[in-house]
Amino acid sequence: MHEQEIIALIRARDERGLSALFRHYGPMMRYIVAPILPAEQDREECISEAAMRVWDSIERFDPARGSWNAWLTALTRNAALNRARQLQREAPEELDPALPSPEPLPEEALLRKERQAELTAALNRLSRTERLLFYRKYYYRQSTAQIASELGMSARAVEGRLYRVKTRLRAMLGGENDV
Amino acid sequence: MCDSERNFLNDEEFDAMLQSGLPEVPPEDIVQEVTPWHKAIYRALIGIAFNTFTLNFLGLNYILPAIASILSLLGFRSLRRENRWFRACYGITLVRSLYLFAQIILNASIYQSDFYASGLSKLLTAGSLGLLFLLFFCLWRAFIAVRRKVGLPGSAPGALWLMLWYAIILVMATVHYTGLILPIVMVVSYVLMIRSLLKLSRGLDEAGFAINAAPVRLSDRALTWLILAALALGMGCAHLFSGAYPMDWQPEEAHSSAEVSRVKEELLGLGFPEKVLNDLTEEDILACGGALQVLWDVQDHPVNRGHYLTAQEGTVSYTTTVYDVQELRITGVAVELPGEPESWRLFHHFQWVVDPGFTGTECMQLWPAWQNNEGWTSGGELTGRLLYDQAGQTLTAPYAFLGSRSYTSRSVFWGEQSSTDIFAAFSLPDSGENHRGYVSYTVDEVQDGCIISSWCNYTHQASTLQYPARTAMDVRMEGGGNRSGAFVTVQDALQFFPNNGSPELIG
Repeated sequence: MHEQEIIALIRARDERGLSALFRHYGPMMRYIVAPILPAEQDREECISEAAMRVWDSIERFDPARGSWNAWLTALTRNAALNRARQLQREAPEELDPALPSPEPLPEEALLRKERQAELTAALNRLSRTERLLFYRKYYYRQSTAQIASELGMSARAVEGRLYRVKTRLRAMLGGENDV
Repeated sequence: MCDSERNFLNDEEFDAMLQSGLPEVPPEDIVQEVTPWHKAIYRALIGIAFNTFTLNFLGLNYILPAIASILSLLGFRSLRRENRWFRACYGITLVRSLYLFAQIILNASIYQSDFYASGLSKLLTAGSLGLLFLLFFCLWRAFIAVRRKVGLPGSAPGALWLMLWYAIILVMATVHYTGLILPIVMVVSYVLMIRSLLKLSRGLDEAGFAINAAPVRLSDRALTWLILAALALGMGCAHLFSGAYPMDWQPEEAHSSAEVSRVKEELLGLGFPEKVLNDLTEEDILACGGALQVLWDVQDHPVNRGHYLTAQEGTVSYTTTVYDVQELRITGVAVELPGEPESWRLFHHFQWVVDPGFTGTECMQLWPAWQNNEGWTSGGELTGRLLYDQAGQTLTAPYAFLGSRSYTSRSVFWGEQSSTDIFAAFSLPDSGENHRGYVSYTVDEVQDGCIISSWCNYTHQASTLQYPARTAMDVRMEGGGNRSGAFVTVQDALQFFPNNGSPELIG
């Protein structure tokens, strides 16, 4: 079944759309969720939750603003991060500083937007490979081992390149032009 | 957060800032690239595409398959842990790649043509083609297995098309199809193959996310460099240690027999060129005992390209090629032997009067008198030897190959031709001086009044730069022109009418 047909079915509130979403996009959703949620049960619950979010917010999907895959990726990742946050609330002593607050204050929201613009500009100055590595690590939250095996690199090489990327970004975001 | 604050963030805080600073929706190129299979399967499929057809120019028939093999190897290496079919694809690719890399190394050796002419080569080539077909089958099964793993229907029509396309190509190759529509068939086939490969990659668009890429100890880049370094080293060794014939050079033993001295005196008395006579073996000198007459002809030949000289005569200008040096001296000697039927012993002797530098292989190809005229027949065995001087000593060696060889050559002008010629193949050392040698044979008369026409084509390897490595003898058997790649051929002939009493040299 094609992407357009699945979207049309979900928009039409036809449950076959949800089944098709699970069948055709389930592997991608699992792939996105896996590095964030280590437990299999959490992953399955998260994917169901993400599918429900798709069902609920399908009207917000605008193909002119981005592809279906990108939208689905963002939605699934957010569901996974929320799930991870929930799990950490249950164990507050292990709070991960990398997980952002779910409801930022207006000031924080403004600051985050500014930060996003700055970071996007800095990332655009990196090479394609460096950006890819960066997104895998910081957006998809993939482990060094996963990045290494999927890119055909050694774990050490991945760590080394990520370190260099971070150093460059630190310099760029710190106001320096180049490293 | 200001710049100075950022600079004081520790690693964890900076990581958190980077994570929270990322946009909600990832950029489109990132979404497309972040998959566990994309890179691996595209490498494998591009490798298959380049490995399934060859472009026979600019060395692309060697470069493209090598790149293709490395790509396929890297691609399937990443997928090998996913299922047993991908593991089989990796194993097959590994075996085929090793065979290809061995061929690439072997091609730098002069023995490559012997290998390709052997039954073993044909068997290995057939095995390699069979493995390619098996690879398509395993790929088809691997795709089905991945789709089934995530509950999608198990179909991969692209792989089936690929197998069908390849089967047609194999049938056409097996029956040596040379019809006029072949180019059209090939283009259509190639388009179909690309279509099949695209279909194959699309087959993993949804299910591919379930693939588990295998971890690697050696990165793709390191492995690629390692393969390239091994190939370069292998080719270097093959060129260095088997780029020339192994020759058995030994100090020349002085002629001691009184009989030899007597025959030598006789021959000198009949006008036999002394420099040539001094190079003959005792057996060849004795074979000329009781000679009735001697005829000889000498010619100097250039192997350099010379330079152009333009002369003006009125309004017309003439350009001629001028050779300042003529490096190779070829002497043809004919000795009439006593007895009936009429019999002549013919010698083709070469001498490098200027050292052109020797690398690789040299060859003398003879078109014997009986080949050019039915009035003569072979009267015995071929003989000859090589000589050169070093530090006041003469060293000699037998030829690496001396004998008749049947071969089929293809020429633009004459088409396919089968011939049997005499060849003397050898290598000369890039040291010493006065490099020389000769080949000798006997002809017996079958029919009176026929011309004796004996041709000698001397092929010299002028450059070490050639790939695949061919010998001078290979070049002659391929029917190459006087300048063919790294080789230069000069032609010389000994021609005369052996009329009773007053033979006439021609030319």
